[in-house]
Amino acid sequence: MPVIQKEQLILHPRPSSIVAALYTLRDLETDVTILHGPPGCSFKHARLLEEDGMRVVTSSLDESGFVFGGMDTLVEVLEKVIERFNPKRIGIVGTCASMIIGEELHEAVTRVQPDVPVIEVEVHAGYRDNTKGVIIALESALSAGIIDEAEFQRQKSLLKEATMVEKRHGAASKDYLEPSRGDLKYKVAERIIQLLKEGKSGINIMNAKKETAYMFVDINAAVVQAAEKLGVGSNIVNMANLDENLGLPKTRRDARNINEDLKGMGIEIHHIIGGLDEYPVAGNNVNNLIAEKYPDFDFAVITGVPHALPMDNIKDMELFSVTNGPRQVAPLKDMGHNHVVVEIDLHPRTLGVNHIVESETGATIREMVKHV
Amino acid sequence: MSKQIAIYGKGGIGKSSTASNVAAACADDGHRVTIIGCDPKSDSSITLLNGRRIPTIMDLMRQGVDITEDDIVFNGYKGVKCVEIGGPEPGIGCAGRGIIVAINLLRKISKALEEADLVIYDVPGDIVCGGFVAPVKKGLVSEAYVLTSGEYMPLYAANNICKGLSRLDVTFSGVICNSRGAPNEENIVNMFAKEVGSELLAYIPKDVLVQNCEREGYSVIEKAPDSGIADVYRKLAKAIMADKEAKVPRTLDDARLRELTRI
Ligand SMILES: Nc1ncnc2c1ncn2[C@@H]1O[C@H](COP(=O)(O)OP(=O)(O)OP(=O)(O)O)[C@@H](O)[C@H]1O
Ligand SMILES: [Mg+2]
Repeated sequence: MPVIQKEQLILHPRPSSIVAALYTLRDLETDVTILHGPPGCSFKHARLLEEDGMRVVTSSLDESGFVFGGMDTLVEVLEKVIERFNPKRIGIVGTCASMIIGEELHEAVTRVQPDVPVIEVEVHAGYRDNTKGVIIALESALSAGIIDEAEFQRQKSLLKEATMVEKRHGAASKDYLEPSRGDLKYKVAERIIQLLKEGKSGINIMNAKKETAYMFVDINAAVVQAAEKLGVGSNIVNMANLDENLGLPKTRRDARNINEDLKGMGIEIHHIIGGLDEYPVAGNNVNNLIAEKYPDFDFAVITGVPHALPMDNIKDMELFSVTNGPRQVAPLKDMGHNHVVVEIDLHPRTLGVNHIVESETGATIREMVKHV
Repeated sequence: MSKQIAIYGKGGIGKSSTASNVAAACADDGHRVTIIGCDPKSDSSITLLNGRRIPTIMDLMRQGVDITEDDIVFNGYKGVKCVEIGGPEPGIGCAGRGIIVAINLLRKISKALEEADLVIYDVPGDIVCGGFVAPVKKGLVSEAYVLTSGEYMPLYAANNICKGLSRLDVTFSGVICNSRGAPNEENIVNMFAKEVGSELLAYIPKDVLVQNCEREGYSVIEKAPDSGIADVYRKLAKAIMADKEAKVPRTLDDARLRELTRI
């Protein structure tokens, strides 16, 4: 009966498992998801997910629902959803309130008997690791026959790694992380351009999480364009987790869209380091590639989830990292990244898109190289 | 197929003592039995464990222990598997949520629910919130029994439970009379059983042996196997293990309940 080492209390707010479950349902191509809970639960993300083509509705549990239960309302909402939206795939997601009072999501399904698959996710926001929400959603998709066992196991091991990444150097690495705006973009752009002018060799890496790649890749593209403009295109090696044959349907589609755009821009990715959902582990491939082929490079630009990259073989390079988390700045600096840039509000702008989206960092680099 | 049952009834009417005596009697008959105490009081299995109190699932969770089957499933009288869910201190937190969490955990880490011929869920008298019906709602209870005496209030509670059961889609398998010494008790409960569309499975007389054995930490099956009351529990155990017709209970109106208990 080993006592689990008591995990430290983390003070800053972190992503919720309910929201993680919602994004997973989107990846599973769910048309409508019902949140069984209070009307405001996960409001911001529910709204954003609509941009991505998944409707989110709520059973609007209120004080009386907390006291008397909300099953009748959930049944009513499920019936309405079927009638109004004619969905091919439905999700039902729990919330703290409905889970505490013991609502059984399955009861609604039994009562309504929809003839399309329903993914039931009994989740609340009280899990320490928000990946728990993803796992519960995938378990349910597995039992509904929407994904197969192999994909489930693959996702599960990736999520375990993602949790480890957050514990080591991410949002769960300290009891409190101060949010920061990071370094000034024009200063950082200036430094990258200077290194390029000096003829230094650089590794240009995108290791991004899923759809965030639509914007992160724009920064890598700007680095390539700047190098070409300065006549040193061959000094840059590009790596990106843009494998089109891995992950859930949406993940693959996103990789395909981005690759096509890159091709159109004449940019070649020299090394594909994994799929868009492999950001927790793709860094290991980068690590090996550098040891094998590029040990003496001078600098590296890393976008997406830079803290998932092992430091072993890059620690002697000048490191530029771009994140979308203001709370990721301090951990990255601690790891030894010299320049850390925050692309604020990146995620919302990568929802509902199927082409590369311009980033501020990318635009800054492009603008500044014009005047060289 | 294993039988998964729950015994409902007014608080203090004798559910836990009936459950543990039935468990012991079934074990005597060679059945594999599991008893799950779903009461924060955690008093369901004491008399199967010679008075020993076992750590509850909630105790271990509070301590932050990585719980395995061996930590929470204990062998009692003749191999009856005993589990106590436990709960928070009275008046704080949410005992109902505790039951939901514990049932989920139990399903994940223990085979005690599957590898048994009889699983008894011993629930508290007052089903005060959704959590207390988690075993039923999660489809773990296939048969329900109602325990009552012949007095008005326990029958009133029993009638209400019948209402609840017909809503929850659980098979209603019979009424058990635990006597409190009211006049004409067996007849009253027998009529009640018929009128809700069921039958009286056993009449358990009031016997001080039950309390005496309980105080020592034993069931009457173990401590007083030759007593008349042990025989009654054994018969009840056989009736529970027998195949019965599935029924959805009817309910009586209050006027009829009052009339019934006036006899
Ligand atoms: N047939 C009986 N004869 C004498 N005493 C009995 C009999 N049945 C139960 N008792 C006694 O009644 C008391 C209450 O019984 P028990 O704890 O089993 O009730 P319960 O219905 O489980 O209560 P709760 O609703 O609080 O869980 C106990 O002390 C028990 O020994
Ligand atoms: Mg009891």
